[in-house]
Amino acid sequence: MSEKEQEIVVKIKRFSQDKGNYWQEYKVNVDRFTQMTEVLRRIKTEQDPSLSYRASCHMAVCGSCGMKINGEPRLACKTLALDIVKKYNSNVITLEPMDYFQPIKDLVVDLDDFYDRMFKVKPRLYPDKEVLEGKAEQRLKPEDQRELWKFEQCIWCGLCVSGCPSVRNDPEFLGPAAHAKGYRFLADPRDTIYEERLKILIDSSWRCTYCYQCFNVCPRDVEPVTTIKKTRAHTRFLKDRSAVAEIGEKHIEAIEESIKDSGMIKEAEVYLKTYGVIASLTDLIYAFQNGKLKYAFVKEMKVKNMDQIRKIMGD
Amino acid sequence: MDKTSYDAIVVGGGLAGLMAAHEIAVSGYKVAVISKVFPTRSHSSSAEGGIAAYIQGNSDPNDDPQYMTYDTVKGGDYLVDQDAAELLSMKSGEIVRIMESWGTLFNRQPDGRVAVRYFGGQTYPRTRFVGDKTGMALLHALFQRVSGLNIDFYNEWFALDLIRNDKKIVGLVAMEMKSMEPTFFKTKAVVMATGGMGMLYAHSTNAYINTGDGYGMALRAGAALKDPEFVQFHPTALYPSDILISEAARGEGAILKNNKGERFMTKYAPKKLDLAPRDIVSRSIITEVKEGRGFPGGYVGLDLTHLGEEYIKERLALAYEAALNFAGVDATKEPIPVRPAQHYYMGGIDVDITGTNYDLIGLFAAGEAACVSVHGANRLGSNSLLETLVFGRETGKTVVKFLSSANESSESLDKEAEKIVDEAYSFTKSESGVHFGVVLNKLRETMWENIGIFRDENGMKTGLSEIIKLREMAKNMYVTDKSKTYNTEFFNALELRNMLDLALVIANAAINRTESRGAHYRTDYPERDDKNWLKHTIAYLRGNTVEIGYKPVKITKWQPEARVY
Repeated sequence: MSEKEQEIVVKIKRFSQDKGNYWQEYKVNVDRFTQMTEVLRRIKTEQDPSLSYRASCHMAVCGSCGMKINGEPRLACKTLALDIVKKYNSNVITLEPMDYFQPIKDLVVDLDDFYDRMFKVKPRLYPDKEVLEGKAEQRLKPEDQRELWKFEQCIWCGLCVSGCPSVRNDPEFLGPAAHAKGYRFLADPRDTIYEERLKILIDSSWRCTYCYQCFNVCPRDVEPVTTIKKTRAHTRFLKDRSAVAEIGEKHIEAIEESIKDSGMIKEAEVYLKTYGVIASLTDLIYAFQNGKLKYAFVKEMKVKNMDQIRKIMGD
Repeated sequence: MDKTSYDAIVVGGGLAGLMAAHEIAVSGYKVAVISKVFPTRSHSSSAEGGIAAYIQGNSDPNDDPQYMTYDTVKGGDYLVDQDAAELLSMKSGEIVRIMESWGTLFNRQPDGRVAVRYFGGQTYPRTRFVGDKTGMALLHALFQRVSGLNIDFYNEWFALDLIRNDKKIVGLVAMEMKSMEPTFFKTKAVVMATGGMGMLYAHSTNAYINTGDGYGMALRAGAALKDPEFVQFHPTALYPSDILISEAARGEGAILKNNKGERFMTKYAPKKLDLAPRDIVSRSIITEVKEGRGFPGGYVGLDLTHLGEEYIKERLALAYEAALNFAGVDATKEPIPVRPAQHYYMGGIDVDITGTNYDLIGLFAAGEAACVSVHGANRLGSNSLLETLVFGRETGKTVVKFLSSANESSESLDKEAEKIVDEAYSFTKSESGVHFGVVLNKLRETMWENIGIFRDENGMKTGLSEIIKLREMAKNMYVTDKSKTYNTEFFNALELRNMLDLALVIANAAINRTESRGAHYRTDYPERDDKNWLKHTIAYLRGNTVEIGYKPVKITKWQPEARVY
C-alpha cells in the first residue's frame, strides 16, 4: 500500500457577517486515504483555526459534513481528496457551503428549514396501543425490514434538499428527504396513522419533477425519488384529493392508456385527457404564442408489435 | 445574560440523554436537552454491531440473564459492580422491546422476530442488530420518538460549566453557537450524557465531537470520576483512517491474520480465538506487529472473504463500504487492513445504579459519560448501546423521583454565571500565544504514546509531565477568530480545556494503579492484583492536583477467577 503524499490546493468559499463572502486558499499534503474532513481538520488545527465547518463521525453516518466539493453536493468525509483530484484532473479542490440554505459562517449553513420539513411528516412510528404498553408483540417480515431500512437510512444531511430544484420553486413541496422519511412510515405495517400520513404526503408527492438530483447526491443511497413514486401509488386510497394530485393521477392514467393503445406517448392526447377540453384550449393559446402549437398536430403512428408492448405492461 | 428555568436539564443528545429526557418529559416535568450538535449527529450514531439482549422466548434456550451478567463481569476483569451488571442484563430484553415498539428496524428472523448474532465474550449469542448500523438505527428511532414530546431542544449549544451552591446543583451556563450568546439555565437536576473522549488520543474510532466535555465540567464542579485509568482500545480500526470495523465482522466469522497468513489468535486465546474480549485482541495485534508479523505501516488483516459477497453486503454493509471507500480494499476479495485505536472510555462520572452522583446534589449521569460501573476494566461489545438505553432510562426515572421532593434554590447566582463566562473567555483572551491546534495535537500524541495500550511507570510519568506542561501552555491560548457567529475556534479551545483536565486525571490514576486489569495493561506490573487492587479508583481534580481515593467493588455472586479465553 503506497502512501505517497501529494500537495493539493484547497479553495474555500468563506463567509462571515462582518466580511461577507470571500475565497481563501490553503495547501495541504494528502495521500490516497485522506478524507476531505481530515483535510479540513488539518487546516483548522495546523494552519487557520478560524475556519468553521461541521463534522462529527467521519464515516458517513451522522450527516454533519454536507457541502459542495468542486460544485458537487457531497459529504466531505465520504470524499477522498485524491479521488477528486483524479476525477477533475486538477490538484485544486473548491469547497463551498450547500446551496439553498442560508450560510451562517464559512461552510456552516442554517438547517432549520430542513428540520421543519422533516418534522412535518410526523417522523415516528405510531404503533398499536397494546404494543406501546408492552401487552402485545409486533413482528416484521425480513423482506419488509429490508425494504423499509433502505429508506430509513436518511442521515438528515440536507444534501438532497440543497440540490432539489422543486424545493426552490414550489413552497408546497416537502422535499426529497421528508418524502423518504414519510414513506418509510407510510409503508410500515406496524404503523396506525396511514390516513393521516396520506393527507400529509400525497399532494406534495405530485409536485416532484423527477429530476433525480436527490437520487444522484444521496450519500446513503436512500433514493428519495423512489419513495415519491411509491407514495404516488397510494393516491387512489385518499378520499379528498387536491387538484395537483387529481391531475397527476389523470396524467398517469392517460399515459398508460396511450401506450397500451399505440405503444407510445401521444403528447397531445395525453394533455387533453389530463387537463380536460377547456384547460387544453386555453393552453393552446399559450402554445400558439410560443410557437409550439405545431407539436400538437404531429401525426403519430402506432408502433408495430403491440402484443409485445402489452406483454411488457403486464396484460 | 439571558436566563431560563427548567426542572431538569439533560446535557447531550445521544441515546443516553434522549432516553433520560424521554422519562422526565413523560412524567410531566419541564425538561431541556442541550447538545453541541443536532441530536442525530451524536456519536451514538456511529455504534455499529449491535445491542446485547436476553429476550425471554427469543434467545438461545440455554441462555439466561445470569450468564449475561457473568460474561459482563468476567469481561470487565471483575472490576464490574455486579448489581449494576445484573440490572443491565435483566432490563436488556425490555429495552429492546421498547425500541422495537418505537419503530427500530431490527434485523429479523424468518418468523418476524428480532434476530441475534455472536459478539466477543458472549457465552451464547445475544447481540440484536440492524445490519452494522445499529447505533444509527436506534438513535434515529429514539430521536424521532422524543421529537414528538414536550421537550425543548437547544441544538448547537455549548455547555460551559455547572453552577452549584455549596453541594447543590442549581444550573449551568451554555452558549448558543450561532449567536455566541450565553444563557443561565436554572435547574434542579442536571443529567450529564455527554458521551466519551476519543479525541484525547491520536488514533480513535470516535467522532470529532468526543472531547470529554462532561467529564471536564463535572471535575471542575467538584464531582469525582470513577476508574479514569480504564481506556478501551478497539482491535479493528481501519488502517489508516481509524474508522471502526465492527466487532460484528468477527461475530459473523471474520478471522485476523498476520503477514504470514497465520490465524494468530490461536496463540493468545485458544478457546475464544478472534472473539476474545477487545483488550486481549488489541494487545495481541500490537504484539504481532511489534514482533515483525504485521504489515508495513503497522497493521494486520481481517479476513471476511470466506463469508460470501451477499452475506457481507447485507450484514456488514458499513464494514464493506468503509474498507472500499477509505482503504481501497474490496472486503469480498481481500483482507481489510486493521489496527487498534482508542474506542471507549470505561471511566466516567461516579454514579450508582440509579445514575445518582453523591458529590453534588442534583447531578446525574448516564451513558459513556458515566461510570456506573457495568464495564469495569473492559467493556464487552454490544454492551454500550445497551447501557445508554437501560441506564438512560433508569437515570430519567431517578430524576423524576428526585424532582418530586426537590426545591428550587432561592438564591440568586447571577454572579456565578457571569464568572463562568468570564473564565471561558479569559482562558482564550490573549492577543498572542499558542492556538488550540498546537496543544491539541501534542496532547493526542502524548496520550497515544505514553498512556495507551501498553503502559509502564516511566512512560506514563513522561506523559504526565507533558500534560502538565500543555495545561500550563493552554492558559495562554488565544483565539484568532473574533467573529460573533458560530466561532468554532472558541469552542474548540473550550473543548481542549475539558480534554486537558481529563488527561491529567487519567494519567495520575493510571500511574497510581500498579497492576494490570482489563484495558489497563502495565508491562511493569503484568499481573492482576486482587489483593490490593480489587477496588474502584475515585479521582477528584483540585486545581492542578488530582486527589485519589477508593471505593469497594460490589460483588454479589461471582468471585474473581483467572480470566482465560
